[in-house]
Amino acid sequence: MSEDYNDNKTIQAQSSETISGSGSGVSPDIDYVRPAEIPEQDLYHGHSFITKWVFCQDAKVIGVQYFLLATFTGIIGLILSWLMRLQLGFPELASFMTAEHYYQFVTMHGMIMVVYFLTALFLGGFGNFLIPLMVGARDMVFPYLNMVSFWMFFIAVGVLLASFFVPGGPTGSGWTLYPPQAILEGTPGSGMGIMLMCISLILFVAGFTMGGLNYLITVLQARTRGMTLMRMPLTVWGIFTATVLAMLAFPALLVGALMMSLDNILGTSFFMPTILKAGEVLEYGGGSPILFQHLFWFFGHPEVYIVALPAFGIISDLISVHARKNIFGYRMMVWAIVGIGALSFFVWAHHMYVSGMNPWFGFFFATTTLIIAVPTAMKVYNWILTLWRGNIRLNTVMLWCLGFIVTFVNGGITGIFLGNVTVDVPLSDTYFVIAHFHMVMGIAPLMVIMGAVYHWFPLVAGRFLDEKLGKWHFWLTFLGAYSIYFPMHYLGFIGVPRRYFEMYDSPYMTSAVGMNEFISMAAFIVGAAQFILIYNIIRALKIGKPSGHNPWKACSLEWLTPSVPPEHGNWGERLPVVHRWAYDYSVPGAKEDFITQTTPPSDVANTEVEKT
Amino acid sequence: MSLIKKLFGTLAQKPWEKNQVAIDNTHPGRTFNLSNQMSAVIIIFGVSTAIFSLIFTGYLYSLPPEQDTTFILKTYLLWINTLVLIFVTFFFNKISSDLKKNLTNNIKKNLIYVGGLSYLFLFLQLILWYQLMKSGNFVDTNTYFSSFYIFTTLHGIHLLGGLFFWGKVSSRIFNLNEKDYANEEKNINALSLYWLFLFIVWIVFFGIMFIYNDSVIAWCKSLIA
Repeated sequence: MSEDYNDNKTIQAQSSETISGSGSGVSPDIDYVRPAEIPEQDLYHGHSFITKWVFCQDAKVIGVQYFLLATFTGIIGLILSWLMRLQLGFPELASFMTAEHYYQFVTMHGMIMVVYFLTALFLGGFGNFLIPLMVGARDMVFPYLNMVSFWMFFIAVGVLLASFFVPGGPTGSGWTLYPPQAILEGTPGSGMGIMLMCISLILFVAGFTMGGLNYLITVLQARTRGMTLMRMPLTVWGIFTATVLAMLAFPALLVGALMMSLDNILGTSFFMPTILKAGEVLEYGGGSPILFQHLFWFFGHPEVYIVALPAFGIISDLISVHARKNIFGYRMMVWAIVGIGALSFFVWAHHMYVSGMNPWFGFFFATTTLIIAVPTAMKVYNWILTLWRGNIRLNTVMLWCLGFIVTFVNGGITGIFLGNVTVDVPLSDTYFVIAHFHMVMGIAPLMVIMGAVYHWFPLVAGRFLDEKLGKWHFWLTFLGAYSIYFPMHYLGFIGVPRRYFEMYDSPYMTSAVGMNEFISMAAFIVGAAQFILIYNIIRALKIGKPSGHNPWKACSLEWLTPSVPPEHGNWGERLPVVHRWAYDYSVPGAKEDFITQTTPPSDVANTEVEKT
Repeated sequence: MSLIKKLFGTLAQKPWEKNQVAIDNTHPGRTFNLSNQMSAVIIIFGVSTAIFSLIFTGYLYSLPPEQDTTFILKTYLLWINTLVLIFVTFFFNKISSDLKKNLTNNIKKNLIYVGGLSYLFLFLQLILWYQLMKSGNFVDTNTYFSSFYIFTTLHGIHLLGGLFFWGKVSSRIFNLNEKDYANEEKNINALSLYWLFLFIVWIVFFGIMFIYNDSVIAWCKSLIA
């Protein structure tokens, strides 16, 4: 790490601009900025509809493309969840659905929501839109590669959805895709379905690697002058660290998918032990199904943080802006993001407590799992302390932020239950687990996405989303989500197993039925409530109130572009020069309750910036 | 040590304090004194290392009992291939150092050597596969050979990817005057590093397959006994 890289020999002075101070009696030297040394980026500006909006190299457009495609797949995931809930709550209305269909819907819902919706939206959507703007770059460092990355994602989604239309349908092996059952006859989609799933995942990882390369190098090498790593907004820290995790964790998914495809197509036995089928010994032998579980969860657990870390970063910025306070414990927040990222590679086997592992191995992973709760809890405290005595604007964005904190703490606490081997074993594969991970990595990140959409929509479109509709959207989602997942904890405690098509004549039949009906009703309402956002966006694009420049009075760079929405290249003729961090809110002595990152020191000479 | 110090030094900065503000305001914006191309290769290096490490781990995890794991000891072709990769790495390194010293005479010739030897390596790998299959060892014969094939395939794909960029850079070099070769220095250096990485991965693979097999393990056990 050479953050203090200061080699004057390499400076290729492009300009020697010095922003002159306007404060009275202040030496202009305090506004000194070094000459630019990163050469201007050569950008390809699209001239036709196709090059401007389809095969576009502008990271902002690519971000919106990611957002739209991820949302489209998310809606498919939502519809699948409705079908599942219909079967569980009102099976008499779902006579068209067989057990095979149900397993296929479960599988596709899980994979779509985790990988193709949340990951793509946070990293592809917010990453592309926000990174260059927040670090003061004109675009990603490799715009062409960035465009290819999106189209790889597009093809990956196409291949995934194609599996609905092949003989046998999509795979129904559960989103974890465990072999041997995933590729053996008897499991829905064990032929083409699983093959297309694996191909789609391989394409997704290849595409993401191209995008991730861009995010990392843009953050590390293409920041504007004065933008040190420790002046970056926490959103960028979250996306950056999550990208590092993804670059190291996705290879495990790739290797697993590749090996399983070979087991399926070429008859290798990476994950296939000797198997007896109807009295006959299959040709497989010598492989280990547990190896796949290790590979899958070596990807799968960091995946939780690949989703969570950008959410942590974004929520920190939203809270700070809308509480008009600097983020409490900025450094601690950065350390926590980095620490959680590092620790996330040492906890994967807590998903495998019931796989027959050595108990000592289990205790090791229980310990690391509990350790990761420490930096996570630090973040929660810091969000609350940022709100403490803040000048809180209780708008839609803030409601989503508060909703996130509550749901995340709730899901996090049940995670502590499940992280302990002795508690996990009886709760494993019950609805308690479903409730836990939907709260912590379904609803909580969704709250962040919604908050971020309401916050940054004015930057994308130059118009506000409607507040009243936003509040309806929030309360229906928040209360509805609790109506779905709170009862599921109880179902888990009484032992109702997950992934069951129906409850049969089981002992929990009586207590589960009424609750399942209630949960299903809530799920239908919550799902439908999401369409309020779509209506709100369409309405805002047509008749929304114009937002103008920097409508939230934020400090960070993305709001300081010469035009709103920002044009390709972001910054007009000159790149911005950064003079401070992104959290100078409510500074004593300042004219306004925010000081932007580009405000030169001489303009705020009489303030007590360091005491904020 | 200094890297760790700098890393923690960066994370310990207090960007809101006056003293730190004065330092930060003179920051150029980038973190490392590296070109974007070189940064990209280093990151690809990291991702590919993760991929290959997981394949190695998979191999070590499920080293098959009662399977012939000594094939690699029997063929000379793998040694020849290793030698070819050493030469490729050497020539690429030479191109890089020549460019640095502004010695442009042999650059075109060495670029041809690099490409030619890389294609030779791939060709010899195909011969090796042919030999393997002729001796009845297919990809589904057992997990030892499955790992062998998957590794050599992925390594070959990485090499082909490198050759694609080698082709692009070479075609530019062949259309430039010698004095303008320096324009391609960043690309050449990045490619040179990439080839070094391919060589390191190959050596590690070779070492693991060579050392960690039944006969060597049996030999070690006999020593202990």
